[in-house]
Amino acid sequence: MPDLIAFVLLLAITAYSTAGGVDFGAGIWDLMAGNSPRGREARALIDHAMAPVWEVNNVWLVLAIVLTWTGFPILFQQVFSSLYPLFTFALLGLVLRGAFFAFRHVAEEPRAHRIADVVFGLSSLLTPFFFAASLGAIASGHLVPFSPMSVAFGLVSLAATAFSGASFLVGDARRYGAPELVVHFQRRTVVAAAALIAVGTFALGVIWWQAPDLLRSMLAGKGLPFALATMILTPLATFLIWRGIFRWYRVLTVAAVGSMVFAWAFAQSPYLVPGQLTISQAIAPPPTQVLLLVVAAVVVLVIGPAMGLLYYLDQRSALESPES
Amino acid sequence: MDVDVDALEPALLPSRIQMAFTLAYHVLLVPLGVALPSLTLLMEGIGIYRKDPVALKIARRWSVVMAVQFAVGAVTGTILSFEFGILWPRLMGRFGAAMGLGFAIEGWAFFLEAIFIGIYLYGWNRLRPRTHFLLGLVLPPAGLLGAFGVLASNSFMNTPGGVTLGANGQVTDVDVMGALFTRALGHEFWHFLVALYLTAGFMVASVYAVAWLRGRRDHYQRLAFAVPFTVAALLTPWQLLIGDLAARAMAEDQPQKFAAMEITWQTRDHNPEVVLGLIDDQGEIHLGLSIPALDSILVGYSPNTTVRGLSAFPADARPTTVEANITHLAFDTMVGLGSVGAALSVWYLWVIWRRRRLPDSSWFYRLAALAGVGAYVCVEAGWITTEVGRQPWIVYDTMRVSEAVTDAPASFVWSMLAALVVVYGVIAYFFITLLLRLSARWKREDLREEAPEVGVPYGPRSGKFETGA
Repeated sequence: MPDLIAFVLLLAITAYSTAGGVDFGAGIWDLMAGNSPRGREARALIDHAMAPVWEVNNVWLVLAIVLTWTGFPILFQQVFSSLYPLFTFALLGLVLRGAFFAFRHVAEEPRAHRIADVVFGLSSLLTPFFFAASLGAIASGHLVPFSPMSVAFGLVSLAATAFSGASFLVGDARRYGAPELVVHFQRRTVVAAAALIAVGTFALGVIWWQAPDLLRSMLAGKGLPFALATMILTPLATFLIWRGIFRWYRVLTVAAVGSMVFAWAFAQSPYLVPGQLTISQAIAPPPTQVLLLVVAAVVVLVIGPAMGLLYYLDQRSALESPES
Repeated sequence: MDVDVDALEPALLPSRIQMAFTLAYHVLLVPLGVALPSLTLLMEGIGIYRKDPVALKIARRWSVVMAVQFAVGAVTGTILSFEFGILWPRLMGRFGAAMGLGFAIEGWAFFLEAIFIGIYLYGWNRLRPRTHFLLGLVLPPAGLLGAFGVLASNSFMNTPGGVTLGANGQVTDVDVMGALFTRALGHEFWHFLVALYLTAGFMVASVYAVAWLRGRRDHYQRLAFAVPFTVAALLTPWQLLIGDLAARAMAEDQPQKFAAMEITWQTRDHNPEVVLGLIDDQGEIHLGLSIPALDSILVGYSPNTTVRGLSAFPADARPTTVEANITHLAFDTMVGLGSVGAALSVWYLWVIWRRRRLPDSSWFYRLAALAGVGAYVCVEAGWITTEVGRQPWIVYDTMRVSEAVTDAPASFVWSMLAALVVVYGVIAYFFITLLLRLSARWKREDLREEAPEVGVPYGPRSGKFETGA
């Protein structure tokens, strides 16, 4: 049962990395779009495409945190006592992003609008970088906020969000019938994928240097299937997008990024903090475990369909104002 | 892990200030977050049932406010959950397995609200009216569930239960039901829930009371005033009763807090009720009005009831003098304003019942216009009462606030606090600007039809998407 709860926690982290990643990635491209006419068009699409689901993503984050403190209280205490600077920066990004996303709709002056755009974009970099950096610090087994591992994980996360953001924006551009923007984001997907592969390779080097045991079980242990999956799926999704074969590419994108998270988590299991804390050492007493599983089951049974309904209505464009 | 409590002291003050600031801010978003969906659905239901386009228009406008404020609340709520780790890592490290349960339940509620507010807001056009209404019906129970979860956790801090502690104070076993339903939950839940609904009712109605004072007297204004105000007026008298029960339970379960609320120094019978006033370190009361024996009568229905005073507890296990005074004044503010609200409610219900129409006195509408802000002050005051009154404990009689605080250097926490104050200020500015803009636009729009969501930065579908512009 403890393993199951750890798995549920992993699912929440993965959901945030993938769904949230798409969202933050869109923010990164928003920042890169610049202020040219084409850039403004791209930004208009990004704005429009951040579906009515944009804050549902925050929920995954809250779920992950609640699962951690309830299911693994000692892990929560250790991680937050040592890595608080990383979480603080990630949070700052989160608030600034929300506030300035709203502000850029309210801003009327072009200058204020531009400032709002830039803050929104920059904060989209902060959050994925620092959340992933905290995972890197955990994976290193030392819980030191700023280390080669935390920086490497942060960079991988930036590349991965840029990649998944671009991939989904290709889909949005297609849906809204904007062929130039399809091309625009096709190119960006390829660039981001190249960056992801480069940064990913670099990160493997850092892991080899800092946490050789982790690398071993990533490439020759429990992490292997997922490491392989991400190595195959990332180029595959990119290839499909590059050649304009618009089928399955979004699913593959999500699977590629998700596998990356899985590869890390499975490689370090049964440790929550490698060499220091295992799942069975940190787990809450059995009655709490049961309740958490009930909570997880309800999320799957009730909230799953509800989310499905939201995405369904969204895809059928049932959720739009008449003007749009 | 050995902890030198003295070494942690520096971050204690900024951590407390930061937690107080972010919670005080978030709690302002809660009444509309939990209760506005019900008011909106009530209005939509009236619109569908009576085929009244005006009611539907009001409901649709309220839904926009609801969504915008939910978005702000989602962000400030996420911050709060991280602050448990950044500021108080030891609280969850020790009690997470029990105290976290309520939050896990709140997690569902957050999910459901986030999903269905999206559907509700963006579904006005394309969904059939009945379908739209029925999908919206998920929101009120979700809000209820969320309030339950958070209050279960807060009640655990006030009256911990359902846990077996090991030798080092670690939780070794948890009785799930016992940890969720602690003694304080019964009254805390009802007291807070009713507070949320009546605050939302008064707040929304106060907007239209102002409209009345400015001379607007049409069907739109009457309906938008009467529905929320009636809800609030029906609930307010009950709140006095629930509050009274809560105070009596407090005298039993959290005697230090109760002594601070009433600034009682000596344990005694015939204890007077002190209205306003301050206590000093020697237990002398300054200023204020002392009503003989009333406190004893309120607690035990008899002047002979013994009420425990602050001096009955060791100085390091009860609120300090300053904390006791803050608790007391906050408590009196809440009770005082609550009583004014109840009087206003009786006035309103009396007019409705006897004359079958809305009041037409300017004084009534002046008070009603203030009732919204007054109710918010009450919510803050009530929250201050329960949180400051619990000091120095983070988990009552079990864990001190100073034992839970982070190892982070004070300078770090001060910097984080400064950044949050700035960012929260910016958010408040945007939020208020936006509401004023919406209000202005809706006034214009009443002259020329336009969909209410246009230009709302809640989400994305707000702006018009153009290619090749």
